[in-house]
Amino acid sequence: MTIQILNGLVYGSLLLVLAAGLALIYGLRRVVNFAHGAFYMLGAYVGYAAAQAGGFWAGLAASAVVLALFGAVLDRLVFRALQERDPLVTVIVTFGLLLVIEDAVQWIWGAEGRSMDAPSLLAGSVALGGDAFPVYRLAVIAMAAALTAALLAWLHRSRAGLFVRAASLDPAITAVQGVNTDAVAMLVTALGAALAGMSGVIAAPFLSLSPAMGGQILVDCFVVVVVGGLGSLGGAALAALLLGQVQVLGAVLVPDIAALIPFLTMAAVLLWRPTGLAGKRL
Amino acid sequence: MSGAGRIGAGALAAAAAGPAIAALVPPGVLLSLLVQACIYAILALSVGVLARQNGMVSFGHAAMFGAGAYLAGIGLGAPGLLPAEAALPLAVAAVAAVCFGLGLIIVRVHGIAFAMLTLALGQACFEAANKARGVTGGADGLTVALPREIFGLPAATFQRAEGMFLIAWLAMVALAALAALLARSRFGLLTEAIRENEERARFLGYGTVLPRAAVFALSGGIAAAGGVLYVLYNGFVSPETVHWSVSGSALIMALLGGTRTAWGPLAGAAVYFLLREQLVEVTERWLGLLGILLVLVMVFLPDGLSGLPRRLRRPRGAEA
Amino acid sequence: MSAPALSARGLARHYGGVAALRGVDLDLAPGEIRGLIGPNGAGKSTLVDVLSGRAPGSAGSVRLFGQDITGLGPAARRHAGLARSFQRTSIFPALPVGAQLELAARRVGATDAPRLLEELDLARLAAVPAQETAYGDQRRLDLALALVGPPRVLLLDEPAAGLTAEESLALADRLRELARARGVTVLLVEHDMEVVFRICERITVLELGAILAEGTPQEIRRHPEVVRAYLGSAAA
Repeated sequence: MTIQILNGLVYGSLLLVLAAGLALIYGLRRVVNFAHGAFYMLGAYVGYAAAQAGGFWAGLAASAVVLALFGAVLDRLVFRALQERDPLVTVIVTFGLLLVIEDAVQWIWGAEGRSMDAPSLLAGSVALGGDAFPVYRLAVIAMAAALTAALLAWLHRSRAGLFVRAASLDPAITAVQGVNTDAVAMLVTALGAALAGMSGVIAAPFLSLSPAMGGQILVDCFVVVVVGGLGSLGGAALAALLLGQVQVLGAVLVPDIAALIPFLTMAAVLLWRPTGLAGKRL
Repeated sequence: MSGAGRIGAGALAAAAAGPAIAALVPPGVLLSLLVQACIYAILALSVGVLARQNGMVSFGHAAMFGAGAYLAGIGLGAPGLLPAEAALPLAVAAVAAVCFGLGLIIVRVHGIAFAMLTLALGQACFEAANKARGVTGGADGLTVALPREIFGLPAATFQRAEGMFLIAWLAMVALAALAALLARSRFGLLTEAIRENEERARFLGYGTVLPRAAVFALSGGIAAAGGVLYVLYNGFVSPETVHWSVSGSALIMALLGGTRTAWGPLAGAAVYFLLREQLVEVTERWLGLLGILLVLVMVFLPDGLSGLPRRLRRPRGAEA
Repeated sequence: MSAPALSARGLARHYGGVAALRGVDLDLAPGEIRGLIGPNGAGKSTLVDVLSGRAPGSAGSVRLFGQDITGLGPAARRHAGLARSFQRTSIFPALPVGAQLELAARRVGATDAPRLLEELDLARLAAVPAQETAYGDQRRLDLALALVGPPRVLLLDEPAAGLTAEESLALADRLRELARARGVTVLLVEHDMEVVFRICERITVLELGAILAEGTPQEIRRHPEVVRAYLGSAAA
């Protein structure tokens, strides 16, 4: 049982990093990025490709950089251009982007699954209550925690972070104060995309790669931001960890209906508390 | 001629065009493609109805399409329990009923949140189709053996392009006519009013959940009808039928053709399949091109092709 | 003495630490045209929202011709005979003017939609989608949607908002005619004092969520508290 709870924690940590990226982008652009799962997948594949040459850490760095660039370009070309239109239009466009990215990945790398090795530093397993638990998975929790802590510190301690928080609270006033909200938004979208890409690389050694890997986790990610509140990192963290547990335990205990849990949870929360359980800003 | 009369006349003319097309196109790849186009046009129509009457965009309609296909397939596979003639309408009715129940809950959610919910629903059905091996055959899919006769027609009629084209074409025309009549009806006006301003509709004394749930049910039923035709023609259904790329395709067809008219999504489906046919020879990257097409349509042609006449007559600000 | 057309007792509304309404009592006599005025933030719109069911009251009750409507939603209140218009025009943009008024009429079994279109100078626009009409036309449509029936009690939230002085007075006169002809009880929230003093028989003044004064237009004009709180600050 401990193993399952730990697994839930691992998946939850992954979700947290991914959801943080989604929440960031929403906070600035009021767009729910339907392509976020595709960023995750793209990041994993880019990381995989780079890792062939330089190992896991190179892969992680490469995916962060490539996805950040991708996010910046997306923001400049798409989000900024469409910001006067109904947000649903941008959402549909991100959905189109999802299809393009999925197809591109399939074209370049093929449809079969691939696997990626954990860094040798984190290989092997550790004995926990009689069972062997992979060290790498424990590292996932640590990496996610580190990334989240770094993000929070940046948001609350740095100047740029201050602009981000202000702009996500009230873009108009922030712009009037002289902050270049478009530049801030581009930075944030890049950051959000990078976080997605990195979580893909982090996931690769234990979840393996396939063009379909962005599907389920995107939905789980939606549930996290809906339950946690689209603007709240704290709420997202709590929701991610909870959902991680629910998903893993659900898959084990009630496999037949486990697929419905995200949908039902999202529906319940959206009806009861449309602003999410935490319901506050970044 | 009254509006309803015009719809009736248009439908009859369109229906008559069916046999004409069948006569002109020899059995083969093209006719088979036309059958597929008609079936997916019905799915696109269901997405369009929801968008027009409720102002809601669904990313998960493949779920209803697939559910109709799976339920029909399962029903056909148990001839002792249920005659085929009953299994098919029952599949459609069951999906519509479930959609009504679901609708009572989810139509209370709007805009992007609704889109997210439908994506989650589609994904849930995809996972369920994959996992429930006992019922759906899992990832391998469900092969369906048709009984010798359905509604007096030999099974071969349904499984060969010549016969199925007429059936699918007529079904498509009939359902489009239904959608058009609905839009003109008092009920259609009410749901459009709710779409335009739900609060004011309530202050006029109208309940706003039931009508929209009914539209959602109708939309689901139409999608399921498409699914039933799909399984009859292909004799097979798999989780791929419920994948979000199918929902995405339906959405693109509906948006490309425009959701302001009943026939818009049908036109969108026609263009979509035409493009696909031309481009498949050039490249295999159909899904990616679809995505690009979606982006282009949303940016440059938000009312779709059927909105072009109005755009050309009187250009005004873009709206989703 | 027959039951008041609309009666509120102890209406209160708190949200987020703000007391928007603090124990308001109100009685409208059948057929009366009552004005509701007060400085910004007085709670006028909140009162109309609570009376119409748009916002829940934190305390208190509302009765319509003796019937307790406190727990009813907007649709049910409309069926009981209470209708309202909106400060920020609330119509159905894409629907033709005539069609949406018919929609409203049908719900309450009314047959006066065509006549109302004529009386409010909207008949020439019957086939035009509302979003393609002028602002003034849309304001009158907002009003028409509330007037169709007619309802027994009508709550009007700044019907003259955004209209020119001329348009406002014309609207005021039409309102009075329509209300009188149909026997509708009216509660009129307005900032435009000319409109209020022109057609209201009695005026209620709200300040900081509570009733400051109530009386005829003449009494209110001279009331020292009202002058201080509202008219005085504008004059000074």
